[in-house]
Amino acid sequence: MAASAVVLRSPVVRRWWPWAAGLVALLACFGLQSLLFVGQERIVTSVFMFVALAQAWNLIGGFTGYACFGQVVFFGLGGYTTAVLMSHLGLGFWATLPLAGLLAGAFGVLIGMPLLRLRGHYFAVATLGVAEGMREVVTNLGSLTGGGSGITVPTVGSAAVTAYIGNDGFYVLFLVLAAVAVLAGGLVGRSRYGLALRAIHQDEDAAGAAGVNTTRTKVLTLGLSGFLTGLVGAAYAFQQITIFPDRLFDVEITVLMVIMVMLGGAGTVLGPVLGAVALQFASEWLRQNYTEAHIFILGIVIIVAVVLLPQGAVNYVREARRHGEYSLLANVRRYRL
Amino acid sequence: MTAFVQATVYGLLQGGLLALVAVGFSMVWGVMNVINIAQGAFVLLGAYIAWEVNATFGLDPFAAMFVSAAVLFVVGYLVQRLVINLVVNAPIYITLLLTFGLQLLLVQGMNIVFTADYRSIPTTYASGSVSIGAVEVPIGRLLSFGLAVVITLLLVLFVTRTRTGLSIMATGMDRGAARLMGIRARHVYALTFGLAIGLGGMAGAMIGTVGTFNPADAGYYTLLSFVIAILGGLGNMYGALLGGLLLGLVEAWGGQFLSGTWVNAIAFAVLVLVLIFRPSGLVGKAFYSFRLEV
Repeated sequence: MAASAVVLRSPVVRRWWPWAAGLVALLACFGLQSLLFVGQERIVTSVFMFVALAQAWNLIGGFTGYACFGQVVFFGLGGYTTAVLMSHLGLGFWATLPLAGLLAGAFGVLIGMPLLRLRGHYFAVATLGVAEGMREVVTNLGSLTGGGSGITVPTVGSAAVTAYIGNDGFYVLFLVLAAVAVLAGGLVGRSRYGLALRAIHQDEDAAGAAGVNTTRTKVLTLGLSGFLTGLVGAAYAFQQITIFPDRLFDVEITVLMVIMVMLGGAGTVLGPVLGAVALQFASEWLRQNYTEAHIFILGIVIIVAVVLLPQGAVNYVREARRHGEYSLLANVRRYRL
Repeated sequence: MTAFVQATVYGLLQGGLLALVAVGFSMVWGVMNVINIAQGAFVLLGAYIAWEVNATFGLDPFAAMFVSAAVLFVVGYLVQRLVINLVVNAPIYITLLLTFGLQLLLVQGMNIVFTADYRSIPTTYASGSVSIGAVEVPIGRLLSFGLAVVITLLLVLFVTRTRTGLSIMATGMDRGAARLMGIRARHVYALTFGLAIGLGGMAGAMIGTVGTFNPADAGYYTLLSFVIAILGGLGNMYGALLGGLLLGLVEAWGGQFLSGTWVNAIAFAVLVLVLIFRPSGLVGKAFYSFRLEV
């Protein structure tokens, strides 16, 4: 009996230990705050932001396998919802935060209905088109959004509707958002709904034949993913105070989410967290040490990572442990022509 | 009325160049199912090579274009053979990321080597123009347009009439069957990518001759390639030509009649609508609809 207990971990242990590890990590992050300098605190805050974003993208791109290359549209919409409501209607930030998420989520459902009928590259390009188009619309609606010269959230001075919460406040806010996103990923990954998403990823027609309402499931997932991304966008707009369409709808933010998910392991809960932490720290380190060439080096890192680890770190370790095959070259051999 | 005709002429001339930018992008997507995000960066690399050749050896820009095309053909062949071929069977976002990495590397590399200043390849005659009635037609643009259209048509002839071209088509339709017929898919893919990049680089040199360029334009040309490839239908080379002309016209008219950059918003709206209602492109039937994924 003792031997079998080693081979097969009991299901109860399997169920509770990831949650316990997550809780410990969350508490550790709260504890970490008091140990950091201001600069370090900002970097860790940006890591939390990308953990949340990568986790949100993972729902649609990782679990469901629909490579959404316009994810930044939800980020931008969330940010602009908050900025416009705060500056034009004088709503407080905490009131606009859920509204921003809901608007982005609703937009996800709206574009999901026609676009999720497309597959593969067509879906990727259509969503990219939506994001680029939305940036142009926001740029040209100057009276509402401030256009290309940006919009400023009233958060300082006498006109402030919500007092600025400072570096310490944003550390906690983005940590909570990251925790919410990871929790959402964990709940989805372990539920029947997550199983339906994985089925769609593997074979959509078979999933449909097995009784999954594929259209509703996909649209709902894009909505959920958009909701989470919109929340992060709203918090980012508040943090930046003045926001510009070129930054809030920057295709590079989408690409960063995708790279983080891909590096860590698509379709896993741990993967996007690891990917976001690793890439964001690496990027900051490069920025500080190689100011001019850091994007150049980042490009090389991406190319090498994509060629050597196309399935991501978490999936690589899982497969390697299962098959006892740790060579990265075997990995390359699998996808090459 | 004259202004309208003038805008139309400009739009058509610009459209020919855009077609040459996008035709390779469309071919790569159609044949290999790879979206080459780095297309715009390669276009600009072509412009810089022509600029460098012109500045160092004093070669005429219209001759330097062919140097750009030749250099980039070799670069493209090697990039595909040594890097992209390693991941062509991976999930789609992998190739997207790979080419995005290439773009970062190229754009930042050009920024470091050539600085971010706007440049233009100087000629003595290209800035002159001929008048037809009240319409001014710049000579440089006219020459570039003619060359771009001729080369696009030559590409069509090459792909449909030569053995090598047919092997590209065959590999695009059914890679497994093509390999069983003795076609070396690795070589054909590399050839396709080399052609695409070479033509893009040539288009870049033309853009540099008739206007200005800097490394930050890369994203813009990639996005134009997306729109044109979708409008024309993937892998459809006549489609790319028509899509380019159409986009050139829309941009010219939009620039005249609409304020701000609404014309870009419209271009993307059209892109999304075409994808929803007619994914095979505006002209003809789906080019690779019968493709078998292996």
